[in-house]
Parts: sequence; structure tokens; C-alpha cells
Amino acid sequence: MKSKLFCNLPPEPWLSKLPHLRFCGFVLAAMTLAAPNAHAGDAPPWMRALTSVALPAHDDKDSVVQLYSEEILNVSSNGKLKSVRRVAYKILRPDGKDFGVARGYIDSETKITGMRGWCIPAQGKDYEVKEKESVESALPGVTNGELMSDLRAKVLQIPAADPGNIVGYEIEQELRPYVLQDEWVFQSTVPSREAHYTLQLPADWEYKSAWLNYPEAKPVSIGMNQWQWVLTDIKAIKTEESMPPWRAVAGQMYISLFPPSGKAQQRGFDNWAELGKWYTGLLKDRDNASPEMKQKVATLTASSTATLDKMRVLAKFVETDIRYVAIELGIGGWQPHPAEEVFLHRYGDCKDKATLLGSMLREIGVESYHVVINTDRGAITPAMPAHQGGFNHAIIAIKLPDSVNDPSLVAIVQHPKLGWILFFDPTNESTPFGQLSGYLQENYGLLVAPEGGEFVRLPTLPAAMSGIQRSAKMKMDPTGTLQGEVKEVRLGDQGRGQRQALHGASDRKEWVKPVETLLSHAFTNFQLTKASVTNLDQPELPFGYNYEIIAQSYGKPAGNLMLVRPRILGSKSSELLETKEPRRYSVEFDGPWRDTDTFEITLPPGFEVDDLPPAANADYPFASYHSKTEVTGNVLRYTRSFEVKQLTVPLDKVEDLKRLYRIIAGDERNTAVLKPAAR
Amino acid sequence: MIHCCKTRVPVLVLSLKLAYIEKHRLKHALPVDWYRTGLNALPKPFFSTGGCRVVSLMRTFLGAGALLWLCLSGVSAHAGDDWLPVVPEELKMTTESLAPGAPAIYLYRQVDRDDQSGHEENYVRIKILTEEGRKHADLEIPFVKNLTKIRGIKARTVRPDGTIANFDGQIFEKTIIKAKGVKLLAQTLTLPDVQVGSIIEYKFTKEWDAGLIYDSNWTLSEELFTKRAKFSLKPSTSYAVRWSWDNLPPGTDAPKDISHVIRLDVQNIPPFRTEDYMPPEGELKAHVNFVYTTSGEKDSDKFWREYGKAKNSGIESFINKRKAMEQAVAQIVAPGDFSEAKLKKIYARVQQLRNLNYDKEKTGQEQKREKLKDFNNVEDLWKLGYGYGTSLNWLFLALVRAAGFEAYPVIISNRSNHFFHPKLMNSFELNDNVVLVKVDGKDVYLDPGTKFAPYAVLPWSETGVSGLRLDKEGGVWVQTPLPDGSASRVDRKALLKLTDDGTLEGKLTVAYSGLTALWRRSEQRNEDDTKRKQFLEDQVKEYVPVGVEVELTNKPDWTSSAPTLVAEYKLTVRGWAAAAGRRTVLAAVLFSNSEKHTFEHAERVHPIYFGYPYEETDDVSIDLPPGWKVQSTPAEKIQDEKVVAYTLKTENKDNRVHVIRDFKVNFVMLESKYYAALRKFYELVRTGDEEQIVLQPAS
Repeated sequence: MKSKLFCNLPPEPWLSKLPHLRFCGFVLAAMTLAAPNAHAGDAPPWMRALTSVALPAHDDKDSVVQLYSEEILNVSSNGKLKSVRRVAYKILRPDGKDFGVARGYIDSETKITGMRGWCIPAQGKDYEVKEKESVESALPGVTNGELMSDLRAKVLQIPAADPGNIVGYEIEQELRPYVLQDEWVFQSTVPSREAHYTLQLPADWEYKSAWLNYPEAKPVSIGMNQWQWVLTDIKAIKTEESMPPWRAVAGQMYISLFPPSGKAQQRGFDNWAELGKWYTGLLKDRDNASPEMKQKVATLTASSTATLDKMRVLAKFVETDIRYVAIELGIGGWQPHPAEEVFLHRYGDCKDKATLLGSMLREIGVESYHVVINTDRGAITPAMPAHQGGFNHAIIAIKLPDSVNDPSLVAIVQHPKLGWILFFDPTNESTPFGQLSGYLQENYGLLVAPEGGEFVRLPTLPAAMSGIQRSAKMKMDPTGTLQGEVKEVRLGDQGRGQRQALHGASDRKEWVKPVETLLSHAFTNFQLTKASVTNLDQPELPFGYNYEIIAQSYGKPAGNLMLVRPRILGSKSSELLETKEPRRYSVEFDGPWRDTDTFEITLPPGFEVDDLPPAANADYPFASYHSKTEVTGNVLRYTRSFEVKQLTVPLDKVEDLKRLYRIIAGDERNTAVLKPAAR
Repeated sequence: MIHCCKTRVPVLVLSLKLAYIEKHRLKHALPVDWYRTGLNALPKPFFSTGGCRVVSLMRTFLGAGALLWLCLSGVSAHAGDDWLPVVPEELKMTTESLAPGAPAIYLYRQVDRDDQSGHEENYVRIKILTEEGRKHADLEIPFVKNLTKIRGIKARTVRPDGTIANFDGQIFEKTIIKAKGVKLLAQTLTLPDVQVGSIIEYKFTKEWDAGLIYDSNWTLSEELFTKRAKFSLKPSTSYAVRWSWDNLPPGTDAPKDISHVIRLDVQNIPPFRTEDYMPPEGELKAHVNFVYTTSGEKDSDKFWREYGKAKNSGIESFINKRKAMEQAVAQIVAPGDFSEAKLKKIYARVQQLRNLNYDKEKTGQEQKREKLKDFNNVEDLWKLGYGYGTSLNWLFLALVRAAGFEAYPVIISNRSNHFFHPKLMNSFELNDNVVLVKVDGKDVYLDPGTKFAPYAVLPWSETGVSGLRLDKEGGVWVQTPLPDGSASRVDRKALLKLTDDGTLEGKLTVAYSGLTALWRRSEQRNEDDTKRKQFLEDQVKEYVPVGVEVELTNKPDWTSSAPTLVAEYKLTVRGWAAAAGRRTVLAAVLFSNSEKHTFEHAERVHPIYFGYPYEETDDVSIDLPPGWKVQSTPAEKIQDEKVVAYTLKTENKDNRVHVIRDFKVNFVMLESKYYAALRKFYELVRTGDEEQIVLQPAS
């Protein structure tokens, strides 16, 4: 019930167990200061009962096990909710000290009414800490435009979170949520012995539960309109690099609450359409255009006759002239600011930008819709029960007029009712109109239309629209020194990343550093003699680097031979799957892409090729890799392509991906052997 | 550079205020991102041989944190609406020739602080040059509720056409931290209509109780280029104030005392860049530091003499328990022990005592329950069996004197976060201690207050630093030894086999000695075997430029101060050998990754700073698979530049390739003018490391 539509991901549940890195030092220090007046007390019976229980299955790397968790949701007939959360861990290793922190969240609709923590040490008396010893903190700083939010955390440090000890806490809250829904996230990064969820409803109220990523457990009725779910021996989720998002893998139960008809409170959602309707209500009148906005639209589009050109100029205006600034207070986490306000101040967050663009587009007769989405592909899908919690971003779907049909518009899908719609993310300042970043491709978003919401699958762009096209023409002299020029064209997300890096540099001298870093991975000894950037400020055009280099000792003398690596620079291989532990989850790529390399080395006089490395060819449904080394006259020519075709490599194909990466790594190390030319 | 200004010192208020200053000595900055800079500047838990200040660390922390917040929020404004005129050149500006490509620059900054009335006015004008630069329009001004006030915030955007968008939006009060009556808040706002080409400016006044006096610091170097800045300080009349400056831009006039106000006018301050292997930031940034003091002494020799006398007196009083110490020594040494053997035994015994600096962090309740007793002298400390590092060193001093050694207390300046500037006469810079013992005519510097430090090995941050060897006359300046690289080694010995598929596998032994062992033991002191194993395995992964499978097979000695820490592994490196037609090639050096990306950038601004000299030796034997023989091995490489050296030797005998690589770094700091030569050396190292061994079919 704390989700909001901003553009930075909220912490996933496993992260929320840890102090926030940016201010954990400060918080912990403040907590330590707050602690001296604390006094000891006995742990409550529910914790005491855990001292002799058997631990759930775990391995020697687990820092803690969760012995018990309990969530109690008590609903009043006026729509107010009271919740109690109890959790206890057994600390197994020193790393587990991070779990000796109780954390509750507060916002304008949620308050903490009680907070206590305990430690039952293996030896000695129990410790108790109370709410007055807690520290309240908000996310400090205004970086990335996150200016103001009412979300705060109350943190309570529990003493002696040491191996062998049991720590636990209890947090009581009062909530008045915008939507009567709750999420029970019972699976975490640590094994759990037992988890309870208890629901108490007023008479005549109903609920619906839905389960995600876990077999459904049936509740037991434990009283009048009171139910309890109990799970035991819940396995831990071990995080892996490039794994699916947390919401796509962790066991969760969603509860929607339904008051008797006629009550004013916002009931829980039966389906996604209802959520869409609710969101539509929040958008009402937010997109009204002020006279100044209308004037601006007229000015901006004055020189354009084609609708598409007008759309482009308006999109560009919102993308670049409206600075990303998030001010999210109360319902402001969901509801955009009025478009006229956003226009006046020239700042807003993702939903503000979507609202303003929608309003301006309407002035030229183009309809559009909000699309709420999660920037982690897979975090929210139509298969999930309807709930608010999974969204963190808003973009726009533009209904393309019949007159607009242009091949540059690739982020399009045909909707059965709306016709062709174009997805556009006005928050991403370096994405050209008509395209989408990789993280949005093949992602599901909730298209919000007046009649309700419906899930739409965003398109996958051709792999060739993203990637690095690198070509080099080099000469090598008899000492092994390589000299020549390299041209790089970076398309799609590959260009966006570089643009952001250069835009963030303190001055132009810093621009050369990404190139130097790339070259340092390829050459032991090099000078960058010339470098330039192309299309840095034209996101609609491909970004590029052109540079000239001299690389000494590139050719390695070996007796009378010379060893030359045909793959001059750039690496496509990865150590991602070279782990001791077997992979548990599918591998998720950021987006589709296609990289190509064409490297030519004019061989030094007096040498000829004696041996060439073999070609590499690997084709899998998810990716392909092809390389070959040839010699034509005195030119050694290496070409390769690497294409990611599918954004997910399922678990049963992960070994294939590992094989592919090893093939690539082997190819990248391969060497051509030159020998003295026959006279 | 340093300057001093003697002012009247009202005796009645002195002691209280001085105590406050001594406990809460703080720095002042004018950062762009106040909060981040604030965190960087927060006092860290005192870890080394810091001593008794740890007792109230957290109390100090919040007090300090509160004041620090007050200091770091140092952007204030002139009162009223008296904006400086905007000149057409500023509006037209699209780039700054001295900072080409900069996202934004400070056109002007002004900080005027008045320690007599307790307020500070700040004025900031920023030119936005790129879209990225617009982020500077988001402001967060932290303050400590009930300790400081922020008032009179005014802000505006000057559009590129010269029209004005005044800030009339909401100022949000954000709770950063709230705990037990302490509230760290921030005034947060964002400016309207900020576009590329806009000028944003803001100002505000910060106020605090005029009785709060703390040292200040003008940090001139910021993330952004500064075209012009003016600073002034009207110092408190209650204390003498000294100030020093460093790294001011060329042509800058030194800060001047004009009618009891210290002023600085500065132009063209380059943006501050961070680089790998650079000295502490505070030593590199253009800055002016102020120190309030009760002493108006202008002669630094006299100042330190007086300080040394007082300090020595305190230490002598703490250790003056001769009889108790003699009894303790009798329990430690045997009558027949030679002098150094005696000394080593005492050293080892003191190191066995519980060193409270190395305890895990404890909550207040845990500390209260533990009921640690205070110690007032070395006898207490000996009886209790625990103490902080500083006190343990003084106990050691007392014991060795009782054992008949000539020994001295030495207070030193730890160089982990800053360097010592004796002319500044800031006694807080002497923040660490060691003991100097005369052994057979030689000076030996010892620090048993540092856990895991082998006998006669000082932690790196205490090596090569100035210290005051104390005596009743005040003392003399000494320099702690800076051991050469041979005292801190990493020795890797590998016996490997090359398989037909190009995999290397076998046994690896890594021996860390001296400082390389000390920091690893110290860092891992509170971890368990699982974590330590992972740590050591990860270290090996960092040495090899490709993915490896590595398994620690022994149980290293983590808990002693033995000179060496030895780790043994089973190692597998897949695909180390690469195909080259009918031949196979493999890089001669396996453990080359540490130097692979060092100094990859051609340009260097700052000096190059290593923590300590060190050496590495790799001794790797590779047995070739049957059916293969060596066609060629790399020629011997010797690159000796004195401060750095590298050798590579490869032998081939009985189908076994033997590679020996030596790498030495024998300096701590080099001026940036030597960077090109140093970078060239590393390039040669990398070239040597990538030399190839060529194998061919034996038939």
C-alpha cells in the first residue's frame, strides 16, 4: 500500500532489510546515541516460544533464518486498518547483524502506533528496545530529481544481533489506504520456518485473495469474519545477477477487501480494469490546457504542417524542456499535478510529463492515454492479480491518427479498439520519438482509458536498432605497433548510456575517459591521438565516437613469429554464469541488441599469415554469435556479430548461454600467427 | 600558508567554550551537494589507536553531526531582494572557455559569516549550460532544528532572454533524521522554468546561537567550475583565530584581515576531479582553514613546545605506576631474556589485552550491560585487561620503561584522511600515537595498540609521518619509518597443469606479509570462516583477468599478529590457452589483473599516492599436456625505474614452463609530473604480462 508512481525503483523487499546505504551510517549512529536510556525487558511469549524450535532448512552461507513472521490486518467498518507485524530471526553468522533492525514505513496515510524490538541472547537476560529509541529518516538529497516525498522510515536497532541470538520486533500501524488492498510478501532472501497472515473483517465485508509465485494455501477460519493463513518451511530466494525482478519470483498473496455496497471507501480491485478506472479518476481534469499552453502548442507547431511533425515537436518539448522533478505527497504519489502547473514551472515527474504531453497532443487533435508500468520487465504482468503495488513509472500511449504512418515509429502496436498506438516515454530524455528503451520493450503496462484499464504488451524493437557497430582500419609495423582509426556507432540504449555519461562530465576533458577505459581493456600500451564525438546532442541520430590510436606491442613477437589478436577491441563475453552455485533463475537481458565488428589490419611488410584462428558460429534461439578471420592480400580481416534476440533465457537454456559465452570468450582470445614472408 | 589573529579572550567564558570547541572540532564547507558532502565529512568511528575519545563517540557524533549540518549547509544569501545585476555577457554565455563542456558553472558565490552574532549569508549564482546542468536547480538546505535557523530563502531563475521567474513555490521541510529530540531537517525547493541558458540564483541566511563557536573552512574547489567567489569571516572576539590556505588558484591574493574581517576574493577555480590513487581530497582542494584557539602564539616552535610539555605531563601522570608495572613485567618476561626478546614479549602481551577499538559496534544497552570500568592510569588498565588502542600504547610505554628500556611517547599524525601541517598549530592533527623504544642503540617504533600489527610494523597510515617525541621539555619532531616494499609482500606460488582443452588447474599458495597481511586481518576481524573464505577466494579472482574457479583449502591464521598470512587454494582457469591454428598460445603471466587497468587515462591532475610500498612475486610452474612442446617463450624483461620495478623470466625445462614475475612499488607519493613516466612503466608491465608462450604439437 505504499507504492507510488515515480521513476526510481522502490527498494525490493530484500533490500528493505538493510539500512539504506546512503544514510545507514548516520541512522545507525543516531540510533546508538538514542539507545543509552533504554532498559532491559523480557521478550514476549511469541518470541520466547521460538528458543527451542528446529531451524528451517538452510545452508552454511545463510546469515540468518526467519523463525517466525506474522501479519495481522484488522479492518474497521469505517475503512481504517490496523496492522501488526511480528518477525523473529535467529542470527547464524556475523553478517546477520543487519537483520537486527526493525523498520516501519510512514507516509501521509500510514502511521506507526507502536514499535518494539527484542533480543533473546544465547546467554543472559533479554534486551528490549522501544519506539522512543527509534530513528526516523527520509531519503536525503535531491539527486535524480527526487525532491520531496512523504515516505519516511522509522528504524529501531535491536541490541546484540549476534550469532546464536534471536532478534525480533513488533510494529503496529494504522493505515487509511487509497485502495483497500494488502500484500503479504512472505518469501524473502532468508529461509523461513513459519509465516502467518491473519485477516479480521467487519461483518458483511468480503475479501478476495490471489497468490503469486507460490502454491495457494487455504485459510482457516479462526473466528467471526477472521481468517488465518499459515505457511511453513518457505525457501529463501537467493539473488542472482540478471535475474527476473523480485515481484516475478517471490511468493506473495494479494488481498482485496470489499465493503458492503454503498460504502464510500475505495474497495479493492477485482480486476485490472477496475484499477484503470480508479486511476482514470485521479487523472480527471488534470490535463486541462491553460491559454498559455495552447499558445505554446501553437507556437511550437506553427512551422509544421504534418501531424507527425507536430507530435514530434511537442514530444521533444516535454522530453527536454520539462525537467524531471518529483514532488510526491499523499495521493501525489499516484495523481499527477495539473498539466498547467507542470507547464508553468517546467518541471514534473513521469506522470506529470505524461499528463502534460497528453494535454498538448490533444490541442493538435491527437488522443493519448497514460500507461502505468514497472521499469523492471516482468515485475507486473496480466497474469498477476490486480493490485497497485507493482507500478513505478508512467509513460504515454499515443493513438496514431490515420494520416500518421512513418517507418521511424517502431514502438507501436495495433490495438483492437484504438488502432495503432505509439508508446513514448517522455521521462527518458534521450529516447527519440518513436522508439523505446530496452527496459520497456516486451514489458507489460496498464493502458488507462476512460472505460477502464487493460494490459498491453509493449513492442520489441528490432535488435538492429540497438547496439554497437565498430569498425577499425589499422596498420601494423614489424615491431608489432598498431596504428589507425576506429569508428563506433552506438544505437539505441548503447548510445543513450554514453550520452548520459558525457553529459554528466564536469568538463569536456572528461569525455575521453570512456574511450580510454575501453582501450585499456584491449591494449596494454596505447596513445589516443585523436578523438571526437558525433551527435551527442541529437538523440534522434546515432551517437558515435571516432578515434585514432597507436598501440605499441600489439603484435607479440614469439621467436621469429608474430602473434596478432584479430579481435582488436571490445568484448561480448561474460562471466555471469561462471559461478560455483548452479543457476536458479532465468537470465534477463536489458533489451534486444545487435553488435557488429569489422576490423582490418594491414600486416607488416616481411610477414605473412601462417595460421589463422577458426571461425566461431553459435546460434541459439535467444542469441547468436558469428565471427571469422580471413586474409586478403596483406590484410587480416576480422568480422563478427553478436545478436540478442530474446530478452529472457529460460532456466533450462541457461547452460546454452554459458556455452555461448565461453565460445565468445575463446574467440576473443584467439590469435593469428604471422611468420616471415617467403622471399 | 598560515596567518594568525590575536583577539581578546574573555577568561570567564573560555573554559566552557573551549571544551565545546575541543569536543566538536568541525570543518566548514560550501558544497554543491550538501548532504553528500556532509556524509563524507562525518567523523568516522575512531578505529586505529585513537584512545579515549571513543568513549563518547556517538554523543560526539550527534553533537558534531548537528553542528556539521549547520556548517555544511553553508549556502546563504544576502538579506532582502538585492540581487546582483545580471550582465548581458552572462545571459549570452553558452560555454566557459576554462571549463569547456561543463554542465553548469558558478558564476558567483559569496559566503559571509559572522561568528560574533552567529549568522551566515550566502549567495549563489549558477549558469546552466546543458540539460544535465539543470539538476543544480534542485536545492536542499539542511539545518538542525533548535540549533540553527534558515531564513530569508530567496531564489529566482533568469531566463536566457533576461526575464525573471521568481521562486514563489513551496519550500518543503524534509525530515532527514529525527531521533530523541534531535531533528536534522532540510529546506527543500526547486526553481521554476530552468532551461539551458538560464541563470539560477538563490540566497538565504543561516542563524545560530552566537555562543556556538566552531572552526570553519572555506572549501573553494567544487564539482563545478567557479568563475568568481568571495568569502568573509568576522571572527569571534572570544578567541584567537588562525587561518591557513592551500591550492588557491594562481594569482589569488591571500586572505586578508581588513578591519577584523578576513576576506578572500578568488576567481577561476577549476572543478574538482577525483582520480585513482590520489591523496586525501582535503589536501588537494583549494581551501582556507580557520582554527579558533585560546593560544595567541604565532611561533609554531613555541606552540608545539608548550603543547608537548602539557601532553607529556598528562601521559606521564597516566603511566606513573612504576611498582605495578614492574610487577606486571615480572609476569611477562624471564630474567634471562635478551633485551629485544623482552621487548617482543611485552609487545605480544599488550596486544593480547582486549582492544576496545576492535570490538564490534554495540548499542547503548549492550554497553551499559557490559559495565566496562573506567581506567585512570596504566595500573587500572593492566588490572582490567582492556583498553583503547591509545591507552594500550601508553601501557606498553609504562611496561617497557619498567623493564628498563629507554622509551618515549610519540604523538603522530595519522595520514589516512589528512596530512599534518605543523605550521597550522592545530593540535588535533596529532591524532594518533606510537611508542619509541631504544633497543641496542636503535630506535624502534611500536604500536601494540593496533591489533594484528606484527612487532615493529606500524599500520600504513602511521608510517612515514611526523610525530612529536614527547619529553618534559616539550619534545622533538621525529619521523616514523617508512618501510620499503620488501616489508609488505604478496607471494603467489602456483603448480599448475595445462590440459588439452586449454585449462590450467592445480595448487596455488598465496602468502601475504607485513602490511598486506595486517589490513586483511584487520578488515576481516569480525567475520566468520565462511566470509573470510569468500574474501580470500575473491582476492584470487581479482588477480586473474579471466574467470576462475577457486577453492580455499587451508585454514589461514586470522587471529594472530604473525608476520605472514598464508592461503592455499585449488585453482582452475578455463580457456587460458587460446587456439592459433595448429599452435596454442597462452599469456605468460596469470596474475596480471591488478595492474591491467591501472592508470588507464593519459591526463593526470593530482599527485599519485599509494598507501605504502609493496612487492609481489609470482612463481608459476605449468606442466604441459602430453603431445605438446614449447615453441617459444618470452624473452626476459627487466624494467627497473627505482621507485617501481618489474622483471619477468620464463624458463622451459622438461615440458614444464616456469614463470617468475617480480613487481615492486617503492614509493608513497609522486608528483603528477611523473605520471607519464609511471603510466609508461605500467604499460610496459602490461605488455610483459601479455607476452605469449607458444606451444606446438610435439610431433
